[in-house]
Amino acid sequence: MSFSNKKSALKQGLIRCHHCGCIVQLPVNALHSKHLEPCPRCDGQLHIRLPNSFQRTAALLCSAFILYIPANVFPIMIVTKFGVPEHHTIISGIISLINSGMVPIATLVFIASVLVPLIKMLGLAILLWAVRHRWQRNMRVLTLVYRIIAFVGRWSMLDIFMISILVSIVSSEALEQVLAGPAATAFAGVVVLTMLATNSFDPRLLWDRLRVQ
Amino acid sequence: MKLNGWFCLKLTLTACDVLFMHNNTLNTLAYEACPQCDLLLKSAAVAVGIKAHCPRCGCQLYRPRHYSVERTFALSLTGLILFIPVNLLPLVGILVLGNAQEASLWSGVSTLYAEGLWGVAILVFLSSMAFPFLKISLSLLVSGHLYFDKPNRYLKVWLRTLQHLDEWAMLEVYTLGIIVACVKLASRTELKFGLGLAAFIALLLVIVMLTSSLDEHLFWQRIAALNKQ
Ligand SMILES: [Zn+2]
Ligand SMILES: [Zn+2]
Repeated sequence: MSFSNKKSALKQGLIRCHHCGCIVQLPVNALHSKHLEPCPRCDGQLHIRLPNSFQRTAALLCSAFILYIPANVFPIMIVTKFGVPEHHTIISGIISLINSGMVPIATLVFIASVLVPLIKMLGLAILLWAVRHRWQRNMRVLTLVYRIIAFVGRWSMLDIFMISILVSIVSSEALEQVLAGPAATAFAGVVVLTMLATNSFDPRLLWDRLRVQ
Repeated sequence: MKLNGWFCLKLTLTACDVLFMHNNTLNTLAYEACPQCDLLLKSAAVAVGIKAHCPRCGCQLYRPRHYSVERTFALSLTGLILFIPVNLLPLVGILVLGNAQEASLWSGVSTLYAEGLWGVAILVFLSSMAFPFLKISLSLLVSGHLYFDKPNRYLKVWLRTLQHLDEWAMLEVYTLGIIVACVKLASRTELKFGLGLAAFIALLLVIVMLTSSLDEHLFWQRIAALNKQ
């Protein structure tokens, strides 16, 4: 591309405040010092890059991966009909939606609670891999992946919100009762951890490793 | 500049190298940096209705809005008023053996908490009640001060907090949760929609419009100008 002769702001001694977006001149010899002055416009802490971005993202992502297992194995919802408990995991809940003919809703739930977390975790793993191994190509695509992950993250809370409505509405103990299962906590953990991981990932790390011709 | 989609023009900023002035100082206002690829760009005055993009990674840099401060002020005031019925009135209900069972924002949280799932309960409370409330009230505080040209030393803290909690306020996702829950219930029982749901939908629209009307770029410029006075 024609931008290879253009340098990043950091290489020219400028940093962008990640709170207000203004440009600040990096003091001489400050490249390796831990503490920068606060931003002159918004008083927020300036960072050359998000602090410990790679390590934080990797740690949060690993925790999310681990939590993803109990989130899918344990029941997320326990429906008791006339005293007979019925355990639903995320997948079996979707299957029972399909069986009762609600395919559009089943698709929606499938996208929000299966596809989105998987896309997020795989995408972040690819991004971390690309940073680690200094990939030189497809930067634009990788940045787009980051944007998609950041946009899509919050929508997996759908299942949690649906359960919070169902448990409070269907609670007549004689006929039918809906309880949230232990997987709800694990799944909520996955959503929060992947959102935190996305927030701590700095996409500029991808471009910093680009060798300028 | 090229036509993008149906209604919005797309402007790509130009990359540049830094140019020091003769006394080795720098006019930092003349530059922008892309938040996602750190390419140094030349600042440009962007008209309303045009989106400014980064030429290297394609990230949207800013998108000015008509009457951003005024609209944000009006919308956050409306939102704050709507917040009262949304939290007091039930959203949906069903009829069981003649008596109604209803769900409100708070009843979901308290049932989850009573069940011992306090982690989920706290998360639902924060993302459907606390953060939307904070988001609206902080927008009101910031845009109100800008609208009446009143400097305040907390303005910067408020706007920074608002930017960081923005994505944790999830009323849009909650709406989808309501829809899925309703479809699930509708196959078994008759649903009863309360006034609270109407208020909730109104609040949702207000929040979506609020998010798009708040132009952070302009707000930071206005705050900097206010503090200089
Ligand atoms: Zn700043
Ligand atoms: Zn860029």
